[in-house]
Amino acid sequence: MATAIPLFASFKYADSLTVVGISFCTALVCEAISWILIYRTSSYKSLKSSIDKASKKLETMKTDNPSSKLTNKKSKTKKIDRVESSLKESSRDLSLFKFKSGAVVALVLFVVFGLLNSLFEGKVVAKLPFHPITIVRKMSHRGLKGDDSTDCSMAFLYLLCSISIRTNLQKFLGFSPPRGAAGAGGLFPMPDPKTN
Amino acid sequence: MKESKSAKLNQLQQQENHQNAHLSPSKLAKLFDPDASWDKDQLGDVLHWIRQVVGLISGLLWGSIPLVGGIWIILFLAISSGIVYGYYAMILKVDEEDFGGHAALLQEGLFASLTLFLLAWILVYSLAHF
Repeated sequence: MATAIPLFASFKYADSLTVVGISFCTALVCEAISWILIYRTSSYKSLKSSIDKASKKLETMKTDNPSSKLTNKKSKTKKIDRVESSLKESSRDLSLFKFKSGAVVALVLFVVFGLLNSLFEGKVVAKLPFHPITIVRKMSHRGLKGDDSTDCSMAFLYLLCSISIRTNLQKFLGFSPPRGAAGAGGLFPMPDPKTN
Repeated sequence: MKESKSAKLNQLQQQENHQNAHLSPSKLAKLFDPDASWDKDQLGDVLHWIRQVVGLISGLLWGSIPLVGGIWIILFLAISSGIVYGYYAMILKVDEEDFGGHAALLQEGLFASLTLFLLAWILVYSLAHF
Protein backbone atom coordinates (compact mmCIF):
# COMPACT_ATOMS: atom_id res chain seq x y z
CA MET A 1 0.00 0.00 0.00
CA ALA A 2 2.85 2.40 0.78
CA THR A 3 4.36 1.83 -2.66
CA ALA A 4 0.97 2.35 -4.30
CA ILE A 5 0.47 5.83 -2.90
CA PRO A 6 3.17 7.55 -4.98
CA LEU A 7 1.91 5.76 -8.07
CA PHE A 8 -1.67 6.85 -7.44
CA ALA A 9 -0.60 10.39 -6.63
CA SER A 10 0.86 10.82 -10.10
CA PHE A 11 -2.59 10.47 -11.66
CA LYS A 12 -4.78 13.53 -11.60
CA TYR A 13 -7.90 11.37 -11.51
CA ALA A 14 -6.73 8.58 -9.22
CA ASP A 15 -10.04 8.90 -7.37
CA SER A 16 -11.68 7.06 -10.25
CA LEU A 17 -9.66 3.95 -9.41
CA THR A 18 -10.81 4.25 -5.81
CA VAL A 19 -14.44 4.36 -6.95
CA VAL A 20 -13.93 1.32 -9.19
CA GLY A 21 -12.13 -0.61 -6.46
CA ILE A 22 -14.86 0.08 -3.91
CA SER A 23 -17.53 -0.85 -6.46
CA PHE A 24 -15.78 -4.14 -7.17
CA CYS A 25 -15.57 -4.99 -3.47
CA THR A 26 -19.22 -4.04 -3.08
CA ALA A 27 -20.18 -6.36 -5.94
CA LEU A 28 -18.33 -9.23 -4.26
CA VAL A 29 -20.07 -8.50 -0.96
CA CYS A 30 -23.47 -8.42 -2.66
CA GLU A 31 -22.89 -11.75 -4.37
CA ALA A 32 -21.70 -13.25 -1.10
CA ILE A 33 -24.91 -12.06 0.55
CA SER A 34 -26.99 -13.49 -2.28
CA TRP A 35 -25.16 -16.80 -2.02
CA ILE A 36 -25.73 -17.03 1.72
CA LEU A 37 -29.40 -16.10 1.53
CA ILE A 38 -30.42 -17.85 -1.68
CA TYR A 39 -28.10 -19.82 -3.84
CA ARG A 40 -26.75 -22.28 -1.29
CA THR A 41 -30.22 -23.27 -0.09
CA SER A 42 -31.54 -26.59 -1.35
CA SER A 43 -34.98 -25.16 -2.08
CA TYR A 44 -33.46 -22.69 -4.54
CA LYS A 45 -31.46 -25.44 -6.23
CA SER A 46 -34.50 -27.65 -6.71
CA LEU A 47 -36.51 -24.68 -7.95
CA LYS A 48 -33.84 -23.73 -10.47
CA SER A 49 -33.52 -27.27 -11.79
CA SER A 50 -37.30 -27.57 -12.19
CA ILE A 51 -37.32 -24.30 -14.14
CA ASP A 52 -34.51 -25.50 -16.37
CA LYS A 53 -36.29 -28.78 -17.03
CA ALA A 54 -39.64 -27.16 -17.76
CA SER A 55 -38.04 -24.56 -20.02
CA LYS A 56 -36.13 -27.13 -22.06
CA LYS A 57 -39.13 -29.44 -22.23
CA LEU A 58 -41.28 -26.58 -23.46
CA GLU A 59 -38.78 -25.70 -26.15
CA THR A 60 -38.56 -29.32 -27.29
CA MET A 61 -42.32 -29.68 -27.43
CA LYS A 62 -42.73 -26.47 -29.40
CA THR A 63 -40.05 -27.18 -31.97
CA ASP A 64 -40.96 -30.84 -32.36
CA ASN A 65 -44.18 -30.08 -34.21
CA PRO A 66 -44.77 -32.38 -37.17
CA SER A 67 -48.11 -32.28 -38.95
CA SER A 68 -49.94 -34.80 -36.81
CA LYS A 69 -53.53 -35.84 -36.30
CA LEU A 70 -56.10 -33.55 -34.73
CA THR A 71 -56.38 -35.50 -31.49
CA ASN A 72 -52.60 -35.59 -31.09
CA LYS A 73 -52.43 -31.87 -31.67
CA LYS A 74 -55.04 -31.16 -29.01
CA SER A 75 -53.34 -33.35 -26.41
CA LYS A 76 -49.98 -31.75 -27.24
CA THR A 77 -51.48 -28.30 -26.73
CA LYS A 78 -52.75 -29.39 -23.32
CA LYS A 79 -49.31 -30.68 -22.40
CA ILE A 80 -47.74 -27.41 -23.51
CA ASP A 81 -50.22 -25.47 -21.39
CA ARG A 82 -49.42 -27.61 -18.38
CA VAL A 83 -45.67 -27.15 -18.74
CA GLU A 84 -46.11 -23.42 -19.30
CA SER A 85 -48.22 -22.95 -16.18
CA SER A 86 -45.70 -24.99 -14.18
CA LEU A 87 -42.92 -22.77 -15.50
CA LYS A 88 -44.80 -19.60 -14.56
CA GLU A 89 -45.45 -20.90 -11.07
CA SER A 90 -41.79 -21.78 -10.52
CA SER A 91 -40.72 -18.41 -11.90
CA ARG A 92 -43.01 -16.64 -9.46
CA ASP A 93 -41.53 -18.64 -6.58
CA LEU A 94 -38.06 -17.72 -7.81
CA SER A 95 -39.01 -14.04 -7.86
CA LEU A 96 -40.14 -14.24 -4.24
CA PHE A 97 -36.85 -15.92 -3.39
CA LYS A 98 -34.87 -13.13 -4.98
CA PHE A 99 -36.88 -10.39 -3.33
CA LYS A 100 -35.52 -11.37 0.07
CA SER A 101 -31.86 -10.91 -0.82
CA GLY A 102 -32.68 -8.02 -3.14
CA ALA A 103 -33.62 -5.91 -0.15
CA VAL A 104 -30.32 -6.60 1.62
CA VAL A 105 -28.30 -6.01 -1.55
CA ALA A 106 -30.13 -2.74 -2.17
CA LEU A 107 -29.31 -1.63 1.36
CA VAL A 108 -25.61 -2.41 0.86
CA LEU A 109 -25.54 -0.54 -2.45
CA PHE A 110 -27.29 2.43 -0.87
CA VAL A 111 -24.87 2.57 2.05
CA VAL A 112 -21.84 2.35 -0.25
CA PHE A 113 -23.27 5.06 -2.47
CA GLY A 114 -23.72 7.28 0.57
CA LEU A 115 -20.14 6.61 1.65
CA LEU A 116 -18.74 7.44 -1.79
CA ASN A 117 -20.95 10.50 -1.93
CA SER A 118 -19.52 11.82 1.31
CA LEU A 119 -15.98 11.16 0.11
CA PHE A 120 -16.30 12.63 -3.38
CA GLU A 121 -19.13 15.18 -3.15
CA GLY A 122 -18.42 18.03 -5.54
CA LYS A 123 -15.22 16.40 -6.76
CA VAL A 124 -14.38 15.60 -10.38
CA VAL A 125 -13.29 11.95 -10.33
CA ALA A 126 -12.77 11.50 -14.08
CA LYS A 127 -12.86 13.24 -17.44
CA LEU A 128 -15.37 12.11 -20.05
CA PRO A 129 -14.07 11.63 -23.61
CA PHE A 130 -17.43 12.82 -24.95
CA HIS A 131 -20.07 15.44 -24.19
CA PRO A 132 -23.00 13.66 -22.53
CA ILE A 133 -26.54 14.33 -23.70
CA THR A 134 -28.80 16.22 -21.31
CA ILE A 135 -30.39 13.22 -19.65
CA VAL A 136 -26.97 11.67 -19.00
CA ARG A 137 -25.40 14.94 -17.88
CA LYS A 138 -27.79 15.15 -14.94
CA MET A 139 -26.15 12.01 -13.60
CA SER A 140 -22.60 12.61 -14.81
CA HIS A 141 -22.48 16.20 -13.56
CA ARG A 142 -24.32 15.56 -10.31
CA GLY A 143 -23.08 17.72 -7.47
CA LEU A 144 -20.34 19.37 -9.55
CA LYS A 145 -19.82 23.10 -10.02
CA GLY A 146 -18.89 24.78 -13.27
CA ASP A 147 -20.26 24.13 -16.71
CA ASP A 148 -17.70 21.79 -18.27
CA SER A 149 -19.93 18.85 -19.18
CA THR A 150 -16.96 16.53 -19.64
CA ASP A 151 -16.36 16.57 -15.88
CA CYS A 152 -17.46 13.22 -14.46
CA SER A 153 -18.95 12.88 -10.99
CA MET A 154 -18.69 9.87 -8.72
CA ALA A 155 -22.36 9.02 -9.28
CA PHE A 156 -21.99 8.33 -13.00
CA LEU A 157 -18.84 6.27 -12.54
CA TYR A 158 -20.51 4.28 -9.78
CA LEU A 159 -23.50 3.60 -12.01
CA LEU A 160 -21.30 2.28 -14.82
CA CYS A 161 -19.40 0.11 -12.34
CA SER A 162 -22.56 -1.26 -10.76
CA ILE A 163 -24.00 -2.36 -14.07
CA SER A 164 -20.91 -3.71 -15.77
CA ILE A 165 -19.13 -5.32 -12.82
CA ARG A 166 -22.15 -6.82 -11.08
CA THR A 167 -23.67 -8.19 -14.28
CA ASN A 168 -20.46 -9.86 -15.37
CA LEU A 169 -19.66 -11.10 -11.88
CA GLN A 170 -23.05 -12.78 -11.67
CA LYS A 171 -22.55 -14.31 -15.08
CA PHE A 172 -19.08 -15.51 -14.18
CA LEU A 173 -20.20 -17.10 -10.92
CA GLY A 174 -23.23 -18.70 -12.54
CA PHE A 175 -25.69 -16.71 -10.46
CA SER A 176 -27.63 -15.19 -13.33
CA PRO A 177 -31.27 -16.32 -13.50
CA PRO A 178 -32.21 -19.16 -15.86
CA ARG A 179 -33.31 -17.79 -19.21
CA GLY A 180 -36.61 -19.62 -19.05
CA ALA A 181 -37.41 -17.83 -15.82
CA ALA A 182 -36.34 -14.47 -17.19
CA GLY A 183 -38.59 -14.95 -20.20
CA ALA A 184 -41.60 -16.15 -18.27
CA GLY A 185 -41.37 -13.97 -15.20
CA GLY A 186 -40.01 -10.79 -16.72
CA LEU A 187 -41.32 -7.30 -16.09
CA PHE A 188 -43.40 -7.45 -19.24
CA PRO A 189 -44.65 -11.02 -19.58
CA MET A 190 -45.27 -11.94 -23.18
CA PRO A 191 -48.92 -12.31 -24.12
CA ASP A 192 -50.01 -15.89 -24.59
CA PRO A 193 -49.91 -16.47 -28.36
CA LYS A 194 -52.79 -18.94 -28.19
CA THR A 195 -55.22 -16.35 -26.81
CA ASN A 196 -54.50 -13.94 -29.69
CA MET B 1 -35.17 -35.94 -40.02
CA LYS B 2 -36.16 -37.62 -36.78
CA GLU B 3 -32.83 -39.43 -36.61
CA SER B 4 -30.92 -36.15 -36.73
CA LYS B 5 -33.15 -34.71 -34.04
CA SER B 6 -32.64 -37.66 -31.74
CA ALA B 7 -28.91 -37.42 -32.41
CA LYS B 8 -29.02 -33.78 -31.38
CA LEU B 9 -30.87 -34.66 -28.20
CA ASN B 10 -28.23 -37.26 -27.39
CA GLN B 11 -25.54 -34.67 -27.95
CA LEU B 12 -27.33 -32.27 -25.64
CA GLN B 13 -27.53 -34.90 -22.92
CA GLN B 14 -23.85 -35.70 -23.29
CA GLN B 15 -23.03 -32.02 -23.03
CA GLU B 16 -25.06 -31.72 -19.87
CA ASN B 17 -23.28 -34.74 -18.42
CA HIS B 18 -19.91 -33.16 -19.13
CA GLN B 19 -20.83 -29.59 -18.26
CA ASN B 20 -18.65 -29.69 -15.15
CA ALA B 21 -15.59 -30.94 -17.02
CA HIS B 22 -12.67 -28.60 -17.48
CA LEU B 23 -12.20 -26.74 -20.73
CA SER B 24 -10.98 -29.25 -23.29
CA PRO B 25 -9.74 -28.99 -26.88
CA SER B 26 -13.03 -30.40 -28.10
CA LYS B 27 -14.86 -27.59 -26.37
CA LEU B 28 -12.63 -25.02 -28.00
CA ALA B 29 -13.18 -26.70 -31.36
CA LYS B 30 -16.91 -26.50 -30.79
CA LEU B 31 -16.70 -22.71 -30.68
CA PHE B 32 -15.81 -22.74 -34.38
CA ASP B 33 -17.76 -25.79 -35.50
CA PRO B 34 -20.81 -24.97 -37.65
CA ASP B 35 -22.07 -28.53 -37.18
CA ALA B 36 -22.13 -28.41 -33.38
CA SER B 37 -25.52 -28.19 -31.73
CA TRP B 38 -26.09 -25.34 -29.31
CA ASP B 39 -28.27 -25.03 -26.27
CA LYS B 40 -29.93 -21.62 -25.94
CA ASP B 41 -28.15 -20.87 -22.67
CA GLN B 42 -24.77 -21.91 -24.00
CA LEU B 43 -24.96 -19.76 -27.12
CA GLY B 44 -26.27 -16.87 -25.07
CA ASP B 45 -23.34 -17.14 -22.67
CA VAL B 46 -20.80 -17.29 -25.50
CA LEU B 47 -22.27 -14.23 -27.21
CA HIS B 48 -22.39 -12.42 -23.86
CA TRP B 49 -18.70 -12.94 -23.18
CA ILE B 50 -17.72 -12.05 -26.74
CA ARG B 51 -19.47 -8.74 -26.25
CA GLN B 52 -17.70 -8.12 -22.93
CA VAL B 53 -14.26 -8.84 -24.39
CA VAL B 54 -14.92 -6.58 -27.38
CA GLY B 55 -16.21 -3.88 -25.03
CA LEU B 56 -13.16 -4.03 -22.78
CA ILE B 57 -10.67 -4.04 -25.66
CA SER B 58 -12.47 -1.22 -27.46
CA GLY B 59 -12.63 0.86 -24.29
CA LEU B 60 -8.91 0.41 -23.61
CA LEU B 61 -8.11 1.21 -27.24
CA TRP B 62 -10.37 4.25 -27.56
CA GLY B 63 -9.00 5.60 -24.29
CA SER B 64 -5.34 5.03 -25.18
CA ILE B 65 -5.29 6.72 -28.59
CA PRO B 66 -7.37 8.76 -27.46
CA LEU B 67 -10.55 8.96 -29.46
CA VAL B 68 -12.83 11.78 -28.34
CA GLY B 69 -16.49 12.36 -29.16
CA GLY B 70 -19.81 10.62 -28.90
CA ILE B 71 -19.53 9.22 -32.43
CA TRP B 72 -17.12 6.60 -31.13
CA ILE B 73 -19.86 5.14 -28.94
CA ILE B 74 -21.96 4.53 -32.04
CA LEU B 75 -18.96 3.03 -33.81
CA PHE B 76 -18.29 0.70 -30.88
CA LEU B 77 -21.89 -0.52 -30.91
CA ALA B 78 -21.70 -1.15 -34.65
CA ILE B 79 -18.38 -3.00 -34.39
CA SER B 80 -19.39 -5.24 -31.49
CA SER B 81 -22.75 -6.06 -33.07
CA GLY B 82 -21.02 -6.84 -36.35
CA ILE B 83 -18.59 -9.17 -34.61
CA VAL B 84 -21.37 -10.98 -32.76
CA TYR B 85 -23.47 -11.29 -35.91
CA GLY B 86 -20.49 -12.50 -37.93
CA TYR B 87 -19.76 -15.10 -35.29
CA TYR B 88 -23.15 -16.74 -34.97
CA ALA B 89 -24.29 -16.29 -38.57
CA MET B 90 -21.09 -16.96 -40.50
CA ILE B 91 -18.84 -19.05 -38.26
CA LEU B 92 -21.39 -21.12 -36.37
CA LYS B 93 -24.06 -20.87 -39.06
CA VAL B 94 -26.88 -21.30 -36.54
CA ASP B 95 -30.49 -20.73 -37.49
CA GLU B 96 -31.36 -17.64 -35.47
CA GLU B 97 -35.05 -18.55 -35.42
CA ASP B 98 -34.19 -21.50 -33.17
CA PHE B 99 -32.84 -19.03 -30.60
CA GLY B 100 -35.50 -16.34 -30.63
CA GLY B 101 -34.41 -14.40 -33.68
CA HIS B 102 -31.68 -11.90 -34.51
CA ALA B 103 -32.89 -9.38 -31.92
CA ALA B 104 -32.52 -11.81 -29.02
CA LEU B 105 -29.04 -12.90 -30.06
CA LEU B 106 -27.79 -9.37 -30.70
CA GLN B 107 -29.19 -8.15 -27.39
CA GLU B 108 -27.24 -10.72 -25.40
CA GLY B 109 -24.91 -8.85 -23.06
CA LEU B 110 -25.38 -5.58 -24.94
CA PHE B 111 -26.04 -3.24 -22.03
CA ALA B 112 -23.37 -4.72 -19.76
CA SER B 113 -20.93 -4.48 -22.66
CA LEU B 114 -21.78 -0.82 -23.27
CA THR B 115 -21.24 0.11 -19.63
CA LEU B 116 -17.99 -1.87 -19.49
CA PHE B 117 -16.79 -0.13 -22.66
CA LEU B 118 -17.65 3.31 -21.29
CA LEU B 119 -15.99 2.49 -17.98
CA ALA B 120 -12.74 1.36 -19.63
CA TRP B 121 -12.75 4.31 -22.05
CA ILE B 122 -13.34 6.91 -19.34
CA LEU B 123 -10.78 5.41 -16.97
CA VAL B 124 -7.96 5.09 -19.50
CA TYR B 125 -8.73 8.51 -20.95
CA SER B 126 -8.78 10.16 -17.52
CA LEU B 127 -5.69 8.45 -16.13
CA ALA B 128 -3.48 8.48 -19.20
CA HIS B 129 -4.18 11.91 -20.68
CA PHE B 130 -4.48 14.29 -17.71
